[in-house]
Amino acid sequence: MTASRTETTMLPQPQVDLLPKEGVVAVEHGVDGHTVLTVEREHLLDVLKSLKETPGLDCNLLADICGVDYPERDARFDVVYHLGSLEHGHRFRVKVPVTEDDATVPSAYGLWKAADWFEREAYDMFGIRFDGHPNLKRILTHEAFHGHALRKDYDPSQRWLLTEENLMTPKWSTGEQKNDDHLDTQVLNLGPSHPATHGTLRTVARLDGEYITEAECEIGYLHRCFEKMSETHGWEQVIPYTDRLNYCSSMINGVGYALTVENLLGVEVPPRAQVVRVILSEFSRIMDHAVCLGANLVDLGALTNFWYFFQIREEIYGLLESCAGGRLTVSYARIGGLAHDVPLDFEEHVRSLLARIPKFIDDVDKLVTTNKIFRDRTEDVGTISGEEALAWGWTGPCLRASGIPYDVRKAYPYSGYEQYDFDVPVASTGDTYARYLVRMEEMRQSLRIIEQAIDNLPPGPVITDDHHVALPPKEKVYTEMESLIWHFKLIFDGIKVPAGEAYGFTEGANGELGYYIVSDGTGHPYRIKVRPPCFAIYQAFPHMLEGSLVPDAIAILGSLNIIAGELDR
Amino acid sequence: MKDVSTVNVDRGRIPLSEQIYLGPIVRGLTVTLRHFMRNLFGHKDVATIEYPEVKRQYSERLRGRHILTTRDDGSLRCVACYMCATACPAQCIRIVAEENPDAPVSAEKRPKVYEIDLLHCVFCGFCVDACPEEAIIMSRQHEMAFSSRAEAIVGIDELRQKGPIDQEDLGYRPYF
Amino acid sequence: MRQPDGSSTFLTTRVETMLRWVRKNSLWPLPFGTACCAIEFMSVVSSHYDLARFGAEVVRFSPRQADLMIVAGTITDKMAPALKRIYDQMAEPKYVISMGACACTGGFYRAYHVVQGIDEFIPVDVYVPGCPPTPEALMHGVLKLQEMIQNGETHYDRLKNRNDDAAATAG
Repeated sequence: MTASRTETTMLPQPQVDLLPKEGVVAVEHGVDGHTVLTVEREHLLDVLKSLKETPGLDCNLLADICGVDYPERDARFDVVYHLGSLEHGHRFRVKVPVTEDDATVPSAYGLWKAADWFEREAYDMFGIRFDGHPNLKRILTHEAFHGHALRKDYDPSQRWLLTEENLMTPKWSTGEQKNDDHLDTQVLNLGPSHPATHGTLRTVARLDGEYITEAECEIGYLHRCFEKMSETHGWEQVIPYTDRLNYCSSMINGVGYALTVENLLGVEVPPRAQVVRVILSEFSRIMDHAVCLGANLVDLGALTNFWYFFQIREEIYGLLESCAGGRLTVSYARIGGLAHDVPLDFEEHVRSLLARIPKFIDDVDKLVTTNKIFRDRTEDVGTISGEEALAWGWTGPCLRASGIPYDVRKAYPYSGYEQYDFDVPVASTGDTYARYLVRMEEMRQSLRIIEQAIDNLPPGPVITDDHHVALPPKEKVYTEMESLIWHFKLIFDGIKVPAGEAYGFTEGANGELGYYIVSDGTGHPYRIKVRPPCFAIYQAFPHMLEGSLVPDAIAILGSLNIIAGELDR
Repeated sequence: MKDVSTVNVDRGRIPLSEQIYLGPIVRGLTVTLRHFMRNLFGHKDVATIEYPEVKRQYSERLRGRHILTTRDDGSLRCVACYMCATACPAQCIRIVAEENPDAPVSAEKRPKVYEIDLLHCVFCGFCVDACPEEAIIMSRQHEMAFSSRAEAIVGIDELRQKGPIDQEDLGYRPYF
Repeated sequence: MRQPDGSSTFLTTRVETMLRWVRKNSLWPLPFGTACCAIEFMSVVSSHYDLARFGAEVVRFSPRQADLMIVAGTITDKMAPALKRIYDQMAEPKYVISMGACACTGGFYRAYHVVQGIDEFIPVDVYVPGCPPTPEALMHGVLKLQEMIQNGETHYDRLKNRNDDAAATAG
């Protein structure tokens, strides 16, 4: 209960004798509970393969691939892989140092398809090449971009302008192509500004009649440079930026970030703050699912549900506003706790929401769930098997709709989730309808968690009293010299996070939301890599489209809940 | 994977009553009709707020436009310590300090220029958290619109508290 | 419709006033929503705030059928050509509301991939601050735009006056 993220430091550990030996330079135990392997590049694929295939290790989830730049080192870049096993629960971090002149590593795409876009991102941001990658090109930045933005010597404000002439189109989409009956096929461009793409997604598809034969997604239209910006700001100042990652459920992002930094700092979060974090995170999850389902249903022509869901959202906004002062971008979590205590009527407010929200969910349930038109449009559309979904790196409700009950809140409980009684909704079919059903049930389960949490809301402070981390209370700042000095130091120098690295992960509304944070002991993060759940989900989308109809594409896209802020960062 | 309590949400085959469209459609229509009738005749549960005539009850902590508070003698409480400008993630606060010749030691600096670019501001409230003097707080004044970017850069005159502090529309601030 | 000396006849000013009244009460918005602000825009058009009360409920994603572009969210360098093209495709008269810090100035993303204000390449009539602005703030912006349309203060009016003047002097 009192331990904050220390549960993750107690992650299940792998059997040491099973670990691969050849090519492994060092084996360490990270503060975040990961087993950290430093590997020579020549043996990388063998090591990854044995981690994946050795019985007893079975790393079936490739969570993340990223680069880290250390300009002063001989081997300038680290390529960092985060792996996990759903069966055994242990987690690995595999690091491969490479030099700048020869920044090439073999691609892991053959082992996990999830490597596809993550490797492209590392290439785009650091210029690390992945041998054997099927389509290695820029992903987040545009074609007129020069240099690699996350290298330390890249000026954060150096922009490159894109004009219409150098807009990107995939190579295969140019030129004529005939189908088997010698009829012309057609290339259809959806997005980036298209009503069904919810913002900034672009899909180019080749159509043979009504059917999509080939598709490619272009992302990065909302690449706001979160990772570069976090390197130029203090630890605390990153929190407003995290709000804007998945803006539909901003509270969860802030909590995930705070938990990871707290892990590095070794700070304990007071129990009251943990419970409030859980309550607001679960409300955020409900909001997120409400937007996802509401928008998905609008795309399928069911507008009324959107109004009902937005009424839920508005009411939850009221609660967030009363706690944090903001509706959407709350900036409420702080490293070590929360910005300030909840208002006096918090409990009452939460209970009134608990009474009202189910009515709206039930209304939508009656309108849609059994409606045959809706079922006809969504059943057996966009089907993906659990195995395949996992290979693509899927997590969250979309994976659970394919029958794999992986939920970070259950598998690696944090913030006291282990004491709440709730079920993980799973469906077996893996189609669009299953994803709808799972989200509907998750909203109800979230309400269950909130109900238990509000019953046991402990009194006490909401932020740690360690003044190396948290600002002292205002009344002390005004009156006591010592507190004023702490306040002054924290504002001007920032929090000093000890040098080290940690990967913290929480259950975001879309799945496993990971933060890989490297600190060099100064007042700024050295590197923050976000592992956005929908990045992994969306990379499978073009492959799911093949053979489906254009209207199905819209239904599938809506059910995946791609949030551009998180996808592109 | 360790055993977790799951709940299966599969629906299985569509029963005959739902095959013939009619049942679910009638059920759906009942829902919308219920909402319609209730709002028309029964207890009015209309969600719409008739803005701008009617405004909803805003939170005491709403983060709106900033206020520079003053002391009893009307001078700004701000001592130009630059903490707000340092804490601001958007770097939207510009302060130029000057010496205040006839002030006590505790306030010998004051801002000559204090500008906030409201179009850069992200209303995160970090300036309020950072201020050691309670010199900058936020109001609930959040409805703003400008026709040029220059208009949105507001200085001391626009930000200074207008009357007694309890008559301002106070939003995010220390102590509630 | 001005006289060569710059004055207008009684009839044309009446027609102009009526046109403006019609325009301001039938703003069809094109939501160019990219990010967080787009979610707040959804709130504005949904039941609690209901932009329809100001004649602006017909949300059109096709630029040919829209008068008012609401740029809601961060515009990146990658997106900029698309935004420019969509703006160019809108039929006159057209108005632009820049919603939120990112669209107005880039906000706190002073970064390598973010446009530092959409007025770099399209004219903006109303800037609404906030990150994201509350629904009330956006509606306030729409009301301000309506006022500007009625008073003939929008970018479109300025451009039109300039063209008329040029035509009058040339003619």
